[in-house]
Order: sequence, then structure tokens, then C-alpha cells
Amino acid sequence: MIPDHDSNAQSTQGASAPPALALRNISKSFGDVRALHNVDLFIRPGTVHALLGENGAGKTTLMRIAFGLATADEGTIHIGQTRLSEADARAHTPANAMSLGLGMVHQHFSLVAAMTVAENIALGNRGRFTPAQVANTVREISERTGLTLDPHAQVGELSVSAQQRCEIVKALARNARVLILDEPTAVLAPDEARALLRWVRAFANEHPDHAVVLITHKLRDALAIADDVTVLRRGELVATGSAQSLTESSLADAMLGPHDRSAQLTEEVVPLIKRHTDSVGAHYVVLQADALTVHDTRGVPRVRQASFTVRSGEVVGLAAVEGSGQAELLRAVAGLLPVHSGRLHRPDDVGFVPEDRHRDALLLDASLTENFALRDAGVRRGRVPWNELAERTNVVLRDRDVRASNASVTVRTLSGGNQQKFVLARALDDAPPALVIENPTRGLDFRATAAVHTALHNARDAGIAVLFYSSDLDEVLTVADRVLVLHNGLLREVPRERDAVGRAMLGVS
Amino acid sequence: MMVPLEDFLAAAVRTATPLAFAALGECVTERSGVINIGLEGSIICGALAATIVAGGVGVTGGFAAGAAAGLIVTLIFALFTVYLRADQIITGTAITLLSLGFTGLVYKAFYGATGVGLTIPTIGAVDIPLLSNIPLLGRALFSQPVVTYALYAIVPIMTWWFWRTHTGLALRAVGESPDAALAAGVRPRLVQLLAVLFGGAFAGIAGATLVLAQSGTFVENMSAGKGFIAIAIVVLGRWTPLGVTGAALLFGGASALQYLFQSLGWSNVPYQLFLALPYVLTLVVLARASGRSAAPAALARRKLTLG
Repeated sequence: MIPDHDSNAQSTQGASAPPALALRNISKSFGDVRALHNVDLFIRPGTVHALLGENGAGKTTLMRIAFGLATADEGTIHIGQTRLSEADARAHTPANAMSLGLGMVHQHFSLVAAMTVAENIALGNRGRFTPAQVANTVREISERTGLTLDPHAQVGELSVSAQQRCEIVKALARNARVLILDEPTAVLAPDEARALLRWVRAFANEHPDHAVVLITHKLRDALAIADDVTVLRRGELVATGSAQSLTESSLADAMLGPHDRSAQLTEEVVPLIKRHTDSVGAHYVVLQADALTVHDTRGVPRVRQASFTVRSGEVVGLAAVEGSGQAELLRAVAGLLPVHSGRLHRPDDVGFVPEDRHRDALLLDASLTENFALRDAGVRRGRVPWNELAERTNVVLRDRDVRASNASVTVRTLSGGNQQKFVLARALDDAPPALVIENPTRGLDFRATAAVHTALHNARDAGIAVLFYSSDLDEVLTVADRVLVLHNGLLREVPRERDAVGRAMLGVS
Repeated sequence: MMVPLEDFLAAAVRTATPLAFAALGECVTERSGVINIGLEGSIICGALAATIVAGGVGVTGGFAAGAAAGLIVTLIFALFTVYLRADQIITGTAITLLSLGFTGLVYKAFYGATGVGLTIPTIGAVDIPLLSNIPLLGRALFSQPVVTYALYAIVPIMTWWFWRTHTGLALRAVGESPDAALAAGVRPRLVQLLAVLFGGAFAGIAGATLVLAQSGTFVENMSAGKGFIAIAIVVLGRWTPLGVTGAALLFGGASALQYLFQSLGWSNVPYQLFLALPYVLTLVVLARASGRSAAPAALARRKLTLG
């Protein structure tokens, strides 16, 4: 059973020990939206504390408040021996948090890409800046912690996992005792993620003053290394206790709330979808590449000599660590980047759903009909048949289960999940022979994720060739019929097994 | 042949001095992620303030007044762009137009519609012993007013500041990624405010230089687009103090070409053609700079940070 809210983790081990970090009665609203309501969090020294919750549950907001990047409407903060009153908490800044021994690694790194590792680590200090001296500090920390880094490397040219090490070293260089890591494994390949979690465990054990707050939505990560677990749902604390007393299913229940109990969710979300054993039948080749080489817009080769086929009626998943060339490969197939060399056989009409729907797929302040009309706006000429389009949009909203009152409301008024369903519906509207889709469920909650996956499988069953990339390996494994892996621009097909794909993503065979 | 070329080089450095001041200031401003199109306004206000004050107090007071006027003008710009996050291009354009009109008005109020054959004290060239005798380059580099010599110190100091101090680091970080700077404990708004004011003061000094070291008088609209040229110089100089100074010299040279061609006796070529050269160069530079990989990544961004 989940321990009650009141039986604080404090009681499990020496209530007298002062907390490494404690937040009390934190409330925060953004306009009318209540992001956090009376949330308590108590981090015991020497422990790893997992902070769990769905997207939008308030995990990151709570930690941004602790770190001084956001201010709470109510509540107090304790960092080590220091207590910040409500007034102090409102004047709290990152500089203040860091001086009290707090370090935070954000999900989207807070690094300056155009500067070196040493410059990034020195940023925020005072007086003269001596690169050689900072480089020595970096080397000393690297030696002590095993987080290897080249101090003079340009951050923008580092791999994602090296950037993450840079963030952690940056915090350690300021003597951080309590580390807050926001979804640290989301951007890593499986082996890298395991190594990081081992490191986190070791860091917490190393010194009685150390502690780590691990913000995550992966139950498996949380239970594997955490001592304590706290679960937030819609801005409220719903469970907290020691990890031993909790099971995956009790945590899933806590995260999702009573209504979803029947859904039997486990960590990877996707079992919500009834997986078809295999594609109903892959028929003819729709997409075919032979020795395809693609350069990015700056002329740097990102995909080299890739050969693959995608047939009608199958979902081919693409797995890769960020920046391996997948963005360029998908855009070449979608007809948005030129083929540098090799051959690419593709139909004229390929639906494309980019990962950043706000930036690349939608005009947020235009109506659904206007957004719908953007589909092949580049090739149409003359007067726009608005009435026809509005009718068509309404039909699409109904058929594809996009929740909007009508086609004339602006896209901004839709939830993220409905926006994505709308983008997908638009791409599939006149049944293109092929669909290219990139991180289709990023930022979506469980239900919207399930709906998007169902839509993908429906498209496949209707005979569309689907090429699908996700940065979440588990999503690739569950949604795709076949798996291609890109590593450093080189593509190969890999059996649909977690270990094989994980190793291929890192370039190890 | 030697003498016209020497004259040309000396004129190039002289013309480049105010451009270098304005561009070095703008370089600092842009490094913080703000593009100040209102630079022209600071230059013309600096020029007028220098004119008015130097007449009574002297040259040093004139330069101080120029810097102060430039700073006050950018204070308005900073209030709108850094704190109210108004659009930088529109605000800067408004500041330039306002300043050009305002200085014309004040000038008429002070000196009447007839204008003046003003007798403003000016600073002459100071010969540096021995160095000024170097053939060809001696006069260009070492027989100049004191403001030019000030640049010889400012450029290395600014370079050191950008890359070897934590405030320089903070400045560059705010222009590249205000979110990263904020998370590292830097206060992005404060950095932007100070960087904008610094740029304004330098533009004011540029205006004062036009009056006190070059023309010796104030003329309406005498800034003649130098603020915009300075912005092009920053792009050409790739946002580094040394590069910016080099680019300013190039533009100074383009302006000084008319003297060279006149002294070479090419009087049949219309002189307007040479007057247009710096502006043509500006266009070419801005068009060629489409790559802009060296530009601060957050330049002219309105929403400063996520928080």
C-alpha cells in the first residue's frame, strides 16, 4: 500500500537528521492554472529521492522553485541548515541556491553552445577568468568522480551525454551537495543511462551531506536506485515513502489517479495499445533508398550511404541518440532536404509530422480551418475555398477524434494531445502513400500518447508506409514492426530487441 | 606619389575613429543580445551636447557631455527594450528619428535659424616623437588627436574583458543563451542594461569626436548614417574588438578615398560617387553576412528567458 501523505519519509530513518532539502506547503499558480497545491517534499541526506509524475504534474515547477528559477506563491524552503521564510523564498535566486549547495541539471541543458566547457563552468563567477585554472578544476573533478570531459571542447560540439556530464561537473565545481536532475535519462542511450544512474547512486553514498533528487516519469529508474519516492499528480502530492514499500503498480496507480486503474499501465505507457502481433501484411515498396547521402543545411554530411526500404502497411521505427542524423534522414524522405548522392525513391505525396509542432507544424493563433488549409498551400493557386475547407476540417475533427468545439477556434485553445492529433489528421487527410513522423508523442500525456499510437497503427493498417522516429527507445520497440538504427550517420537494420538496438545506438555491435 | 598616399592613410584613420568608437560600443551591446538601431540617435545627441558644453567648459567637458548625452538617449531605449521587452528594431528606429528631430530643434533654439560659425575649441593632432616620423604609416597612426590614441588602449582592454574576466563571460553568455546565464546565477536584464548603456556612452563619444576632433562645428544630421554604418562594422568585425577596429579602418578608408582621388587629379569623376562608397560597402557587407554564424545566438530576441 502507498504510505499516507502524513507518514513522512522522515520517520523511516532518524527524524532528527536535518533535511538536505525540504519544501513545505508550496503552492504556485500560473494565471488560472494551479500548478502546485500545498506540496511538501523532504529529502533526507545521503539518499536518492525520486520525484515521479506525469507530464504537467508539477515536478519540474517544484524543483525550479527550490532552485530559485520560479517563485512560489506560498511556502517555505529549507536548504541544509538554512531556512528561507516566505519572503526569502520569493527573493530566492539560482545564485543563492548554488551558494547554499544546490545544483540543478535541467532537462533542456542550460549550457551556452558557443562557449567552451571551461567557460560554461566559470560562468556566474566573479573577477578574472583564467581558462587554465578552470581546466585544472575540471580535470580534478573528472578524476575524482569519473565524469570525463575535455575542458577546452566547444560545448555545442559535444555529444548529449557529454553535455550532461558538463552540467553535473558545473554543479560540482560550485560545491553542490544536493543535485537535482530533471529527466536525466530521457536523452541517453540505455547503457549511458545505466552508467549515469550508477553514478548517481555512488554520489549519494559518497558523503552524508550529499543527496540527489531525480525527476523522472520512468518507474523502473525510480525503483532501481531511489531510497525514497514522492509522487505528484496535477500539482498535488499523492504519495511519498521509501522505495521498498512501493511497487511499480502502486506507483502507476498513484501517478495516474483512480480513473485509470483499469488501464493496467506499466512503465512504458504503450501497453495501453493493443499491439498487433505483426503488420497485417507488408505489400509493395513505397520508400526505397540506395546509398543515400544527405547533408544538413550547412553542408555537413549527416547521413552517409544509407540503404533501406519501407513497404506499404508497415511501421518502420528509427532509433538513434540525438544528433545522429535522424532529423536529416526524415526530412530528406519527406522531401524537405535535397539528396546529396545515392538514390531515393519516394512518392510525390509524403505526409510529414515534425517533432516541434508549435514551431514547424502549426500557426497557434490561426483557426483550425486555416491551419488545415496550409496543407499543400504551396502548390495550390487562386481563391481559397474556405467554406469547403471548413466543412472538411469539421469532418476530420469528428473522424479523427480531435476534441475542439468547431473548426473556427484557434489552435492555441486545444490541448497538446489534440493539437498533435490534428497535425496527424491533416498529414493523413488524403491518404498519402507514406507518412514520416518524428517524436510523435513528445510532451503528451498517457491518453494522448495512446491515441497517437492507435492512429499510427490505423494508418499502417490502411496500407500507408510509416517511417517513425522516437528518442524514446521503448516507444520505438513497441510501435514499430521493424527497427532501423542510425549511429553517427550510418544506418543499419537491427532485430527488434532492446539490447541489440541499445548497443547499435551507441555504435557497439 | 608618397604624399597623397600618406594623406589618404591619415584621413582613413581620422575618419575611422568615431566609427570605431560607435562600433566598439555596439559590439558590447550586441554581445548581450540587444541590437541598438538607435545608435545614430546617440551619436547625434552626443555631437550636439559636445558642441554646447565644449564652448563653455572646454574640450574634456565636451567629450564627457557627449558620452552622457549618448547614455541618456540609450537609457530610454533600454527602458523599452530591456525592461518592457519592446521590439528592438522599432524602438531603435523611433529613437533615431526622435534624436535627429530633437537635436535640430535644440540647435535652432540655441543658435538661431541662421546657424553659427561657431568657435568651438577642438583638439588638434598630437605628434608622438619619433614614431610619427615612420615613413608612410607614421603620420596615420601617430599624428592623431588623443581620442584615436585612446582606442589603442581600449581595444586590448576590451578583448581581455571579453575573454579573460567573468563579467565578459557573463556578457557573452547572455547574448548566446539568457536561460543558461540565468541558471548560472547571472542576471540577464542587468547585464543587458549595462551593455546597452555602455554602447550609448561610446556612441556619444563618437558624436563628440565628429565635432571636437574633426569638423569643429555642429551641423544638423551630421551623423549622416554613421550609426547604421557602425552596425555593419560590427557584423564585418565578427563581434570581436580587434575585428571591429579593423572593419572601422576599412570603412574609414572608403570614406577617405575621395581625398586620395582628388589629390590624384581624378576631378572628372563626380565626387558624389566617392561619398557613396561607405554606404555601398555597408550594403555589400550586410548582404554577404547572411551566414552570420558568429552572431550572438539570442540577438534581438524579445522573450528573454523561459522563467
